[in-house]
Amino acid sequence: MTTPLHKSILVGAAGLTLAGSVAACAPSTQASAAQSSTPQGTSTQAGAGKLATTGSSSSGSYKDGTYSADGSYTSPNGQETVGVQLTLSGGSISGVDITVHPSNPNTKKFQGEFKDGIAAQIVGKKLDDINVSKVAGSSLTSGGFNQAVETIKSEAK
Amino acid sequence: MPHAGWSDFAFDGIGTRWEISTPKPLPSPVRRSLLGVVEDYDRSYSRFRTDSLIARLAREPGTVVLPAGASELEVLFRKLYRLSRGAMTPLIGSSLEQLGYGADYALRPRGHPVPAPRWEDVLEWNGSKISASAPLVLDIGAAGKGQLVDLVAAVLRSARITEFLVDASGDMLHSGAEPLGVALEHPYDPTQAIGVVELHDGALCASAANRRAWGDGLHHVLDGATGRPVETVVATWTMAPSALEADALATALFLVDPKVLDEEFDFSWLKVYSDGHAAYSAGFEGTLFT
Repeated sequence: MTTPLHKSILVGAAGLTLAGSVAACAPSTQASAAQSSTPQGTSTQAGAGKLATTGSSSSGSYKDGTYSADGSYTSPNGQETVGVQLTLSGGSISGVDITVHPSNPNTKKFQGEFKDGIAAQIVGKKLDDINVSKVAGSSLTSGGFNQAVETIKSEAK
Repeated sequence: MPHAGWSDFAFDGIGTRWEISTPKPLPSPVRRSLLGVVEDYDRSYSRFRTDSLIARLAREPGTVVLPAGASELEVLFRKLYRLSRGAMTPLIGSSLEQLGYGADYALRPRGHPVPAPRWEDVLEWNGSKISASAPLVLDIGAAGKGQLVDLVAAVLRSARITEFLVDASGDMLHSGAEPLGVALEHPYDPTQAIGVVELHDGALCASAANRRAWGDGLHHVLDGATGRPVETVVATWTMAPSALEADALATALFLVDPKVLDEEFDFSWLKVYSDGHAAYSAGFEGTLFT
């Protein structure tokens, strides 16, 4: 499952952070060899979006190309995997894509939420305290509806 | 008014308040065109007036010819009817009337909820032509306001007005260079907001169960398969290129898993559940207060 671009804003931001834990990336042309290799002490710096090259890297920089790897992390459900694909051009990350591989049914749900976003509880602020001139919500209704509601309320008293 | 110095043109139409904001006051001919478009729409689609085109179908079986824009409604409703397995339907009118939300504003249930008639049983909708094999109460309210917002915007664009905000009481379309911050009304308290979203060159629509409600859990967003109000969702917001789609999808979110809609529509969504938690797509990331 590939995330379409228009939905990957959140995913992209999270991807930069995650990429640090899957530093064993390698150009896909040599993926089979590199994926089994040990991490090379490289890391990505979230925010800067620039690949840092520390450790024993001989060339001092990475070739342009698409790198992909499966990374694992420990979730409340146990060990899980996420596929990360980085595109490098000119030594910078020009693209990040994440593919989720839910390995158990419970995780499917959490990873879905990770991609879309969840707020445990909405928080209200007074409109007067917010500097906006427009509000989107339930539409104001016609006089007829409102009058009828008032009539029923008064009859119910 | 959305930006300092802008002018508002406000009026009532299709049972709600409209505000059209532009950098300069709208010339009179444009105002007249706008009011004409709104009145035409109401006369075609209102189920609250006896002289509307669709009111004929409520009286007796037959065929009516609607304005050309009806074909867009048909495509959209057909798709959402399929995706919701009949829960979202333009035939919801009779179920609404059963619960008291009819032209007479009785606002008292006539009896137990009744499911909407099945599209395939009673309705033939081909473009602007609609035929009913039995009297039926067509209700295109889920998408109609959005479509009218788009039509209003088209009037502005044809008058070479490119910067505007059309606000039909919370369903809005923005056009122009400067984005607009819009508060998201708290589903349980209209004096509060739960977040602010930035709207830029597109539509933002909302659907909520709180205000068109008339007691005992009765509100206007019904599941067509049961005829009952949806209880688990209290408010939804959507952003899409057109207000037609944004409006319809805001209602669809009450009835369909967002992931199902995501596969067929290019839109952003925010959904607030009755227990107060919210789920949202990337387009609404960072908009909620914490």
